[in-house]
This record gives sequence, structure tokens and C-alpha cells, in this order.
Amino acid sequence: MILQTALLIGLVIFSVLAIALKDLLKSAISLAVSSLLLGIIFFRMNAPYAGVFEISVVAGLITVLFILTIALTKSGDEVRESKLVNWVFPLVFVAFLVIDALVMKGLLGKVPALASGPEAGTFGEVLWRGRTLDLVGQIAVILAGVFAVLALFRKRDKHD
Amino acid sequence: MTNTWYLYLFFAAALVFAGLLGLLGKRNLIKLFIAIGVIGKGISLLLLSTGFAKANILTAQALVITYIVIEVSLVATALALIINIYRHTRSLDIRDLAKLKG
Amino acid sequence: MIILFVVLPLIVAGILPLVGKVSRRVLPDLLANATLLFLLVYAAVAGRALIAGGAVLQQSAWLGEAVNLRLALDGFSLLMLVAIALVGFAASLFSIDYMEHYGAKANYYALYLVMIAGMNGLVLATDLFSVYIFLEVAAVASYALVAFGLGHDELEAAFKYLMLSVAASAFIVAAIAVVFGMTGSLDFAAVASALQELNAGPVLVIASAFFLLGFGLKAALVPFHAWLPDAHPSAPAPISAVLSGLLIKVSGVYAMTRIFLNVFGLTPALSTVLMWLGAVSLVVAAFLALGQKDMKRMLAYSSISQVGYVVLGIGIGTPLGIAGGLFHLFNHALAKGLLFLTSGSVQQATGTRDLDEMGGLAKRMPITAATNLIGALSIAGVPPLNGFWSKLLIIVALVQAGHPVFAVIAVLASVLTLWYYLLMQRKAFFGKLNEKWASVKEAPFWMTAATVLLALLCVGIGILFTSTITTWIQPAADVLADGVHAMTGSWGF
Repeated sequence: MILQTALLIGLVIFSVLAIALKDLLKSAISLAVSSLLLGIIFFRMNAPYAGVFEISVVAGLITVLFILTIALTKSGDEVRESKLVNWVFPLVFVAFLVIDALVMKGLLGKVPALASGPEAGTFGEVLWRGRTLDLVGQIAVILAGVFAVLALFRKRDKHD
Repeated sequence: MTNTWYLYLFFAAALVFAGLLGLLGKRNLIKLFIAIGVIGKGISLLLLSTGFAKANILTAQALVITYIVIEVSLVATALALIINIYRHTRSLDIRDLAKLKG
Repeated sequence: MIILFVVLPLIVAGILPLVGKVSRRVLPDLLANATLLFLLVYAAVAGRALIAGGAVLQQSAWLGEAVNLRLALDGFSLLMLVAIALVGFAASLFSIDYMEHYGAKANYYALYLVMIAGMNGLVLATDLFSVYIFLEVAAVASYALVAFGLGHDELEAAFKYLMLSVAASAFIVAAIAVVFGMTGSLDFAAVASALQELNAGPVLVIASAFFLLGFGLKAALVPFHAWLPDAHPSAPAPISAVLSGLLIKVSGVYAMTRIFLNVFGLTPALSTVLMWLGAVSLVVAAFLALGQKDMKRMLAYSSISQVGYVVLGIGIGTPLGIAGGLFHLFNHALAKGLLFLTSGSVQQATGTRDLDEMGGLAKRMPITAATNLIGALSIAGVPPLNGFWSKLLIIVALVQAGHPVFAVIAVLASVLTLWYYLLMQRKAFFGKLNEKWASVKEAPFWMTAATVLLALLCVGIGILFTSTITTWIQPAADVLADGVHAMTGSWGF
């Protein structure tokens, strides 16, 4: 449990770093590291499939997409973030953490839940037989993404 | 719900809030997207830990995997938008995207 | 074979890029429109027979093994399917001519069909997470479609739309996770019965609030509306028609209504919140519409306002209120779809959306002017058009349920609506013909055909409103009203 908590703290730290760091490349790598940590957290929760997906897809594929975009949009002038934001937001975040902790402590045991029975079947069966419609949805969303990228990168000869 | 669920909920909420703060405050378009990625992590952590707490880890994994696939499509589309915006305005600053009034 | 509603558009979308390589215009046009026409006929004709004996639950078997492809078709879903097919078909017809100068028609139709598939999947799903998936399917397709023209405005609008949508999705999934945590399942019926066992009061309030935040953003209710007035005008006209006419209603109002009325249960508190949200949207957006010079922006604000009307009606919770809200949802889909299409005709002919630059277009574009007038009067609620009856139902329901103040607000807002629509008509179509437009021609064939189709429907439904209500609206309202009765008082607060 201690290791898990440490991993969770690391996850939050690297995620916040990813948002806060000035250099875009370091941001992307920080995001990848936090994805890696999340994947390990998933593994330790007996969720190997989710862990593998998180590491290979989010830490892998999405990071590559980010780095590709960063490379394609290298401009001479950097975007200057607001100074006020840089001061105020960490304070707001810490305040939120305090409120969060208090709320969670207060909610301990208060969320009613039905006892659930053991899960039937293997992961494959649950995914392919139990949540088949989700798979149709996945195909649809992949199609949407593919067509979106094709549409947005098409050769523009003339448009409205 | 088991007590560990609340622990995970704490971190998930922190992640989502950090991401929302990032969406509100950051100006660089790519940073805004990183903030969205962080929100996604928070939500997938929430989903999986809920399944874990209810001993329904297999269903939760199926949900998280689907969620990640959706996220990939979303990120691909968004980055395509960003690259196109960059080609138009030569800038990644969201303040340069203030033509429309909302 | 209810699954066709989701799978057929996807398959056609999948083969469209290949078809597009062979034939750049004719085959994609043909394929896409044929698909939508088929869906329309199937929903309108076979749909009613299917649900004649109660809701149909289709559980498919795949290669001999039972898989969980559970899709449910009841009155409410059928009403949405018909609306989606109608407006989807009309906008697609319109696209045959309108999208010519955008290029990449096959790609456009592919995205369009994926969006339709997503919306169909959403209304047929029986599972909270499936609703979310198909919501995202339609959303991702819509981001690309809004930005399709690749101009600065479109890209900006699409990006902001995307950002707000992602925030909305986060809240929706968070609520789903909480419900999953409490009940251990995601299926509508299972969750509904589980919630009745649990005494989940406060946590359910939080989940409801998250759903309201998320779906309210998708439906563009005030104060979550900021993305719509930029996104809908910038999109190509047929996409604006589908976004305003369908997407905000399917991803926003349908999802919210289904979950609140059939799964959570409509408590008095929730009813009040919905009614207030609806009324605020109705009034605020109507005022904001008044000052608009851009034709499509005015229509966009009007959409926000009318969706407020729908939510107000459904929020009452009485069978009459629900029926009125659903009828108005349907009518607005037709009429607003029509108006965005005619605005596209005007934009293509004159090159502008600025109302002050137009004038007297009725002389050069009589059909467009006439259909636009019908659409405007329908939304403004002028008898005997369809909009009049749905608004009347809602107002009567408000009075009957003991909310006279809301009824007065609704009537006043209708007057406002009529005013700004007449303004738009006068500025764009009537009055003296601005010499700039002296050589403007009527819109091309398919564009006019699409608008005439929708206009005829507005008139027809207005005249035949009783049979429309009994055949289409009543079954839908019954499904929801049953849900209200079953739930109310189960977790009293």
C-alpha cells in the first residue's frame, strides 16, 4: 500500500510538472513518465491489460503524437504564460488538495454501495462477450479519428 | 466502499482538478492538450479504482481500455487541429485565437 | 435488426474513401444519401411495427455465440431515430450541392455517416458507458466537421468546442464511475433497480450534478453555452443544421432525459433545477439573439433558447409536459435544420452572413425565402405550424402543473422569438433588393429540395399535429412518464 501511495504521489507530481514546465518537450516526457507510473499502478491493482494499454498507448503512442506536433510547430517566439497564473494556480491547487483530503475523509464509508458478486469469466470473455457494443463503439471512434485526421490534413486547393 | 477507494478517489480528483486548472490558465495550445491528457489520467484512475474496489476489475479494465482508445482518437484530432491552427497563425498562443466572440 | 442503425452507416463510411478514389462526386453522393434514406424509411415504416408490442430489446448472437450487443428500441429512441434520419437525410441532400467547393466529398460523407452512427448508437444504447462511447464517436466526428473548411474561424471554433467538450466528458465519466461504484452495474434497468434499493441520496445528488454539468454543456444550456455561438455558424451549413438540429439534442437533451427520467428518477428538486435551467436558457439566449447581425449566430442563439424550452417542458415531469418537450424537440430539429440549410443557401449565393448587407433576397430566391419563412414562423410558434402546437403543449402543461410564472415567461420569450425572427426575415429577404444581389440566383436543385422537404414537414406536422402526437410523441412520452412514476419518491428528498 505504501508503494502504491508513493506511485500515486509520483503520478500527480509528474502530471503537474507536465502542465507547469515551460519547455514543451520536457512537458511531453513528464506526461509520459506519469503514464508509466499510472500503468504500474494499474498492474499492482491486478489490472495487467489496462496497465499494458496505458503504457503502450498513452505513454507510447500519445507521447509520440505530442512530440510530432511539437516538432511541427516549432516557432521562433515562445508563448509566454501569464505570470499571475504561475503564482496563483499552485496555491489554488494546494488549497484544493487540502479540501480534497478533508472531503474524502468525511466521505469515508458514507458512499453506499451494493455488495457485488464475483466476476464471471476471463478478461477476454468480459470484453468480447460482455461489452461487445463498446467494441463497436471503439471501431466507430477510431474511424472518426482516422477520417478527422484525413480531413484536416487534406490538400487544400480551394475552400469557402 | 472500501477505504482504499477513497484514497484513489483523492488522487483522481487531484489529477482532474490539476487538468482543469491547466485548461483554465495555460495559453499554449499544446499545454492545453497536455492538461486534457492529465484529466484523462484522472478519469481512468477513477474508473479502474472503482472496479478494483468492487472486485469488478475485469469490467473496469474493459472500460478503461475503451476510454483510452477514445482518448487516442481525440488527441489525434486535436493535434491535427493544432497543427492546422499553427499553419494559419504561426502561433500557439490561445490569445491569438480570439477572433470569435463566444 | 436494430443494429443496422449503427452498423450500416459505419460500414458505408468505411468504404467511402475507397469509393472516393474511383468517383469523386457521384458515387459518394449516391451512397451516403441512399444510406440515410434507407435509415429514414426503416425507422419511419418498420420502427412503429417493431415497437407495437412494447420495447424491443435486441440481443445479438455473433457466429453462434451470444454476445452482449444489447440495443433497445422504445418509443423515445424511435422518435430520436426518426428525427436523426429526417434531418440527417435533408442535410445530406443539401450537401450534394453545398459541399462541392469544399472538396474531399467522400471524406466529408464518411465523417458525416460516422456522426450519424454515433448518434444512432447513443439513442439505442441501454448501458451508461455505451451512451458515453457513442457520444464521443459523434463528438470526434463533429470536431472535424466543424473545422472542415480549414479556415481560421472554423479551426478556432472547433478547437474551443473540443476543449469544452472534453471537460464535459470528464464530468460525465466521473458520474458514471460513481454510479458504477454504488450499484456495481452500468445497465439502465439494473442501475435503476439498484438505486431504489440503496438509500443513496447525497451521493446521487453529486452524480446528478456531474451529469447535469456534462450533458448541460453538450446541450448548450446557459451558462454552459459559450461554445455554440462560435461553433455552429463557422461550420458548413449542413453541419450547422445537424449540430443544432440533432447533436445538441441527442448528446445533451436525450442523454440527460434518459438518465434522469428512466434511471435516476425525476425528483421534485431535480425537476425544479431543470425547469430553471430551461427557463434561463430560454430567456437569456433570446435576448442575446436579438442583437446579432450574423444570420447564423442569431440562429445559434435561438437554438440555445429553444433547447431551454425543451428542457423546461421535460423538466415539468408531468406526462403533458414531457410530451410537449419531446414534440418541441422534434419540431425544433426540423425547423432549425431547415433554417440553417436556408442560411447556407443564402451564404452561398451572396457570400455573406451579415444581415445588414442583405436585403430583398425574396425577389431573387423565392423558394429559399418561403422555406426560411416557414422555418422561422415554426420556431416562433405561429399557428398552424408545428412549433405552435409544441409550445402550446408546454405552456398548458406549465399552467396545469401549477407554474403560472414559468408559463408567462415562456409566452413572453415566444414573443421575443417571434420578434427577432421577423427581424431576420425583414432584413434578409423582404424590403428593397440590395443592388449587390441583383444577379443572385436561386439555390441549386438539391439544396432547395432539402429545404422544401423540411418545410413541407413543418407545415404537414402542424396541420396533422394530433396524429403526429398520438403516433410518435405519445409512445415516447409514455416511456419517460412511466419512468417518472416508478422512481419518484424512492429516495425522497
